[in-house]
Amino acid sequence: MLYQEPVFRPLGDVALGVEFGDELDLRLSFRVIALQQAIASEGLRGVLITVPTHRTLGIYYDPVQTTFEKLCGGLRRLCDELVDLTVLPSRRVSIQVWYDDPWSRECAAAHGAPNNLRYLAEVNGTTVAEIVRRHSESEHWVSSVGFQPGTYQAMFLDPGLAFSAPKYQTPRTTTPERIVCLAGQITSFYAIPSPGGYQLLGRTPIELYDPTQRDPAFRDGPVLTRVGDRHRYLPIDGDEYESLRHQVETGTYEYWIEEGEYRLHGQHTTISAASG
Amino acid sequence: MDGLPGLDVVDPGLQTTVQDLGRPRQIPHGIPPSGAFDAFSLRVGNALVGNNFGDGPIIGVDPGAAGLEVLVKGPALVARRDLSVAVTGAASMPMINRRPAQAWQTLRLAAGDELDVGRCQGGTRAYVALGGGIAVPSVLGSRSTNVRARLGGIDGRPLRAGDVIGVSVATRDARARTLPHEARPRCGAPWTVRTVPGPHDELFEPGSVAAFFSDVWTVSPKSDRMGCRLYGPTLAFRPRPRYVEAQAGADPSNIVDDPIPVGGIQVPSGTEAIAMGVDGPTMGGYARIATVITADLSVLAQVRPGDAVQFAAVTVEQAVQARVAAERVVEQVANEFIDAGRGAL
Repeated sequence: MLYQEPVFRPLGDVALGVEFGDELDLRLSFRVIALQQAIASEGLRGVLITVPTHRTLGIYYDPVQTTFEKLCGGLRRLCDELVDLTVLPSRRVSIQVWYDDPWSRECAAAHGAPNNLRYLAEVNGTTVAEIVRRHSESEHWVSSVGFQPGTYQAMFLDPGLAFSAPKYQTPRTTTPERIVCLAGQITSFYAIPSPGGYQLLGRTPIELYDPTQRDPAFRDGPVLTRVGDRHRYLPIDGDEYESLRHQVETGTYEYWIEEGEYRLHGQHTTISAASG
Repeated sequence: MDGLPGLDVVDPGLQTTVQDLGRPRQIPHGIPPSGAFDAFSLRVGNALVGNNFGDGPIIGVDPGAAGLEVLVKGPALVARRDLSVAVTGAASMPMINRRPAQAWQTLRLAAGDELDVGRCQGGTRAYVALGGGIAVPSVLGSRSTNVRARLGGIDGRPLRAGDVIGVSVATRDARARTLPHEARPRCGAPWTVRTVPGPHDELFEPGSVAAFFSDVWTVSPKSDRMGCRLYGPTLAFRPRPRYVEAQAGADPSNIVDDPIPVGGIQVPSGTEAIAMGVDGPTMGGYARIATVITADLSVLAQVRPGDAVQFAAVTVEQAVQARVAAERVVEQVANEFIDAGRGAL
């Protein structure tokens, strides 16, 4: 649900969370981003770092410069004045994916799980080809960045194409890097070898995390993805994968990033209802 | 190697990494802050050798000088030049040229001297501060090593035999110092770790919240810088709305992901508690019952597999007082705990 009033929760002694709701909903993501922007433009004494996620804005503060109570007071005032944003700047980033690639298959098998694409098709009552079509035809809204370096979580922007799946019952101890994955209706990404329980969709040849920051796409930091980006997945086969991987490794790959904006439409407020 | 050649690594120890106070400003990008897990011990070490000890843990702007974080079994290092050093944390008996040396005080190494940090006793992590600080490139605002993300330190990895540790030119402050015994942290089980309840304590059954604080937990051997895992009572969750089950996952502990601070305590499935470490995830989808206060991350860093741990509940205000008290000790080391009888370098 979307709360009438945001809830302020202490995260220990140097951080707190401003929680706008308990579910995935594009309107919540927009509110989180709106509060982050309001703090950035107005400034609040003691605030050091803000961390936007789907439904909660994490705020790190200096407890000597302010207190939990004082900060909550200031945040409540900002929240009361918060303009409901309906348009946000948003880049569209295209990411090539070899769906049902051999690494994902091998990783699932090594953890005793069935082929993840076939499992997704089964639990959604459809075919593997249809799962790939639906995943790649919708754009996906990045509403949080984190977990491990380079990991993000994104929601379907076309609720009509959305499908869902549970996480693994027993999380994997490891997952290869550059795997695109899904749980619930959330698409996520393992940028570095990580434990995890999301269903494996496929592998991308391109880097979304580059600690060396060699490519100009990483000029601002080693993590490409930002909250508010839209992702588009382009299905590729093994040959295209190898060819693109070669480009990435030789530094000749050009990232496909389009600047733009995204407008909140009426139909996107029904994402939760479509989750089934 | 950056800086001046400082120490040759003869034996790297079990896992020794370069750490300062980390890169908290990268948290919004999903990059854990890293840095010394027991920040108090590193900061005291830096103060003992006259280094910049940086801002307080987790939120600081200034990460201070970089030193070594030692896991369980310390490295053996040979000085290339005259150096001030200090060994802090859980180190029980450092040796210089095979003779016992004191922890928690300024030590002098002459070129050619061998420092064997030795094994940790009572705790898990020891720290080595070097006069001038370790000279490695600053990556995203910090020299700290994150091995999993291949960031910082020496090529993003632990020390290896044959590495040469570079040091920056030492400050002129070479006064000898000692942290008085009564100010040293008690190292050994049973441990008490103070926490601020929440943010999701209301998602647990009230009886389980009570059990979390009243029962004794046991540290799992699977603990590391990402998280400290503990076994204890099985905790139960209150029923969730159906839309949360659908979106967040079938496990009763699943929530729609939100930010996790260092010290956040998840209880996946109610069967295991994971108190997040400095290399831990920046967000996650399991309900968190409490958050370890920043002053007691230095305790969490020291608990050993098999040790008994009790969690205590404190208010945010009490947690801030503990943080300020730790800061005061570090400042006293720098400015007050000067040894009149021992000479400067």
